[in-house]
Amino acid sequence: MTAVTAPSAVPVGTIRSRSTRQVSWSRRAPLLPALVFVVVVTQVPFVVTIWYSLNSWNLVRPGSRQFVGLANYVHVATDVQFRTALVNTVVLTAGTVIISMVIGVALAVLLDRKFLGRSVVRTLLITPFLVMPVAAALLWKTAMFDPTFGIVDYVLGPLVGHVVWLSRFPLASVMVEMIWQWTPFMMLLVLAGLQSMPTDVVEAAGVDGARPFAIFRELTLPHLRRYIELGVVLGAIYVVNEFDSIYMMTQGGPGVSSTNLPYYIYERAFLGFDVGQSAAMGVVVLAGTILVATIALRLIFTSFTGREEAA
Amino acid sequence: MADVCYDEATCIYAGADRPAVDALNLDIKDGEFVVLVGPSGSGKSTALRMLAGLEEIDAGSIRIGGRDMVGVPSRDRDIAMVFQNYALYPNKTVAENMGFSLKMHGVSKEERQRRVREAARLLDLEPLLGRKPKHLSGGQRQRVAMGRAIVREPQVFCMDEPLSNLDAKLRVQTRTQIAALQRRLGVTTVYVTHDQVEAMTMGDRVAVLRDGRLQQFATPGELYDRPVNLFVAGFIGSPAMNQLNVDVDAGALRVGETVVPLSAAQATAVAGLSRVTLGVRPEHLSVGGGELKLQVDLVEELGSDSYVYGHLVAEPDTSLVARAGRGRFRMGETVGIGFDPGQLHLFHPDSGERLGP
Repeated sequence: MTAVTAPSAVPVGTIRSRSTRQVSWSRRAPLLPALVFVVVVTQVPFVVTIWYSLNSWNLVRPGSRQFVGLANYVHVATDVQFRTALVNTVVLTAGTVIISMVIGVALAVLLDRKFLGRSVVRTLLITPFLVMPVAAALLWKTAMFDPTFGIVDYVLGPLVGHVVWLSRFPLASVMVEMIWQWTPFMMLLVLAGLQSMPTDVVEAAGVDGARPFAIFRELTLPHLRRYIELGVVLGAIYVVNEFDSIYMMTQGGPGVSSTNLPYYIYERAFLGFDVGQSAAMGVVVLAGTILVATIALRLIFTSFTGREEAA
Repeated sequence: MADVCYDEATCIYAGADRPAVDALNLDIKDGEFVVLVGPSGSGKSTALRMLAGLEEIDAGSIRIGGRDMVGVPSRDRDIAMVFQNYALYPNKTVAENMGFSLKMHGVSKEERQRRVREAARLLDLEPLLGRKPKHLSGGQRQRVAMGRAIVREPQVFCMDEPLSNLDAKLRVQTRTQIAALQRRLGVTTVYVTHDQVEAMTMGDRVAVLRDGRLQQFATPGELYDRPVNLFVAGFIGSPAMNQLNVDVDAGALRVGETVVPLSAAQATAVAGLSRVTLGVRPEHLSVGGGELKLQVDLVEELGSDSYVYGHLVAEPDTSLVARAGRGRFRMGETVGIGFDPGQLHLFHPDSGERLGP
């Protein structure tokens, strides 16, 4: 947590080291309030959560609280619904991030060329990212996916027949909404990458006989690699925590078919009032997230420090 | 191998008030090394990029081997280009950089490796074949860019100031290597530079451009001996040619108090003019033994020679430079300088066009 280390270039000696310590503490002291604040609002609740997870405690049954050791974790490991929610989380995260990245790359390539009204088109394409997530989910639930007056059914109905999208394909419907919201983010990142692409390299490839698609595959994609990695990691960090659109559109249902981990924990904690169980799930999910995020962040940092820049 | 012909080729950038390249006519023979030279903004790079297919030909045409290139994309022109910043592919190794065009033309992997190795041997790049461009020095990158061009065995080489990112010593060394390589391969080459020394030393013929217009297209010797106008006279040669506005008096020139006689042909050319611009190169002024008095303002010692900068005592507004042996003159001295009448250039005082032979 402490990011301050005093430079220790001063030679060691009793008097010197005491003054060094004073100097370094005089630097650390102003940071202490922030450190204390961070510990109080993040670390203390986490420790309390771990303690809860070792108890059987349901708010609906007063006086039921008792220490049960790791029983809650055993229950988490054997909970079929938890496993479904885990799979749903992985599918939702991977699907949203990958599909929005593919569409984002395509749109960025389009926006990278000059055409009439480009700035208007760009602004319109960015707009979904600016809409509040709850509002976007509400919009998709009603205006788009509603079985009686939704646009999706109105357009696709004559082609594939009448479908109640939100109950037939709940996870896919949520994913569509999230892809709609996340594509502009991916597009902007990739567009920044495209605009940093040196033009003379593209010209050289043209002179060397490469067709546009070959230039894209051989030169543009390798150049975009670290922008794509950054987009995937940042997108995944946000999407894995998605709650708003599931709460708004399907309430995790039907059954648990569109429930992801955050929503499942919410259900167990605030609808089932099972503090011990949900605390144990929270700890498990946090551990998993830290593990995945560490790997992902290491990936970004290696690709951004190992720069492949030629003159 | 092919000849290249610019036929009234014109390029107009959107929003510009005059063409970047204005009705350029050049006839480049098969295997010839032609240098396009001019100050910045003269359109030399644009002219080359039109040949490479990187700029539109807005009017006229460019023909390679008799084939009209208007509307033909770069990839179908069978040319190779060396860029100023080399434009190496950063994610590819040296070998992949050099073999890229062959790969794009569907050459088999074995054939590709053979030709890349051959070109690498020619350019001393063999130990570097597995490296990425970021691990190469400037000179090595330049050689890789050359290698990428010669692997192709194209009809035409286009080179856009390929030496300008090298240090002075390496530039001189690479200059001779490129010229020798081109002679050996016999590929028609169009080379752009702003450096007149490069132009003079490398080119079979040199095209001098200014403001998008061709000034003169001739051999280096011809450019030096018979520049067609004051611009070419001033651009070619270092230090630049001295220019003096002088009076014409009965078939002779009057410089201050001194009368310089003209040959019969020169006298005919200046007939009817009261003033002309006299051009004389620093190396054709004899210092120490003439009638004109020069006040020395500055002496530049080069080791082999020295250049004496000064002004005429009779006309303090003038500024002259002359080549002299080393160590003979000092600042503030007054020395006599003389002309060789056979080495004078005469130009029209208004238009700057060459007068006489």
